[in-house]
Amino acid sequence: MMRLAPQSEAPRAAVTSPKSAATADDAQHLAGLLASIANSRCRRSFSELFRYFAPKLLAYGSRQFGNEQIAADLVQETMTNVWHKAHLFNADKGAPATWIFTIARNIRFDLLRKNKHRRDEISADELWPILSEQNESLEDDYALDREILMQEIGAYYAQLPEAQREVIEKIYIEGKSQQEVSDALGIPLGTVKSRTRLALIKLKELIA
Amino acid sequence: MIKAHPTDAMLHAYVAGELNSASALVVSTHLDMCPHCRRMANAVEEELACEFESAPAAQLDGDDMHLMLDAIFSSSASKFDTEVSPYPAQAEAQAPVKPKDAMITLEGKRFQLPRSLANQKHRIGPWSKMMGNMWRAPINLGTDEVANLIYMDRATSVPEHTHRGTELQLVINGVFKDEYGSYSDGDMLVLDHTHQHTPETTDEDCLILAVMDAPLHFTSGISRLLNPFSSLFFR
Repeated sequence: MMRLAPQSEAPRAAVTSPKSAATADDAQHLAGLLASIANSRCRRSFSELFRYFAPKLLAYGSRQFGNEQIAADLVQETMTNVWHKAHLFNADKGAPATWIFTIARNIRFDLLRKNKHRRDEISADELWPILSEQNESLEDDYALDREILMQEIGAYYAQLPEAQREVIEKIYIEGKSQQEVSDALGIPLGTVKSRTRLALIKLKELIA
Repeated sequence: MIKAHPTDAMLHAYVAGELNSASALVVSTHLDMCPHCRRMANAVEEELACEFESAPAAQLDGDDMHLMLDAIFSSSASKFDTEVSPYPAQAEAQAPVKPKDAMITLEGKRFQLPRSLANQKHRIGPWSKMMGNMWRAPINLGTDEVANLIYMDRATSVPEHTHRGTELQLVINGVFKDEYGSYSDGDMLVLDHTHQHTPETTDEDCLILAVMDAPLHFTSGISRLLNPFSSLFFR
């Protein structure tokens, strides 16, 4: 239940992208190519994207594998992914080079282990979920939960048992963390968590 | 507030795809729980992508390029998704995990798993009781690595031991402490032979994700007698 606890923001990472203005324009152009691949299956856009990235991917693959043939497989598989999954690229989340690099990284991981042939083996995409919305949606879910709670729950809120209402009030209205609530009320953290959980279950029942 | 994070080197190795599956599972689950490390990982990702983009490109001759392009244009999207794709779990991974699917139950208690772990729920094996009030469920990653969920009930302790290999532990829910500190939701520890410790829970229970590459080694008093059986703590 930890994502329900509003957390104080850790300081933003000090590392900034070392991009110049010129490469930002390039990135915008490459993002445009991806968009036209996604929207109209444009082969000319893809060919241009391919001519730009394939030699870079081949260099990356050669460094990683020390084998030209496997490096070529990596180029082929990565760019096949790009062709079929261009619609999953989101320019708001990063540059095209970053997206394509992470696809190549995952394919490299799987290619390195391909000889073992275990069908149930966990795949790179499960461990590095780049072709998915996972990372962002964690916060989105929380934001949504919170909004729904704030807007719709007011009427039901009064029906909660006193002990649960107190905890929910401190977390959702005063914005305290579960640990802070535990300290403030002098009750164990586990109790705060279970009261929060019970209260949310109760509220869900009331709303349904 | 999460206070034990992966080292920069470990985050870097994770982003570069150089950790083994079990360690990567621990780091990705930590990232689910830790916005700070998520931002760090994104920054490292941009840095590595920048290196990838600016490194000297290899020569790819025109004929090879055309062959590859033809193969890509004639590849079938549906075949790609079902057979050739290295991403079998992609469709599922993209769908948000429903809260009830992310729950596991043990001894009448329910726990919400972070997303990375919830996506692997089908890999979590049955719970078995270890010594005392500890339970363990193996996570079958389909590799040779050992990953377990470990549950310590309240007021439970593990005899003092050290680690012959390296063990990564991530607190999923609850609190445990040892000689060095107290760890709760999201804290990730790297333990090796330099750490001799006695983990214990007091008034809260604790669910931990643990991966290790060698059995524990018990170090004090009568618990040394456990060493022949220390694989109990391994697989």
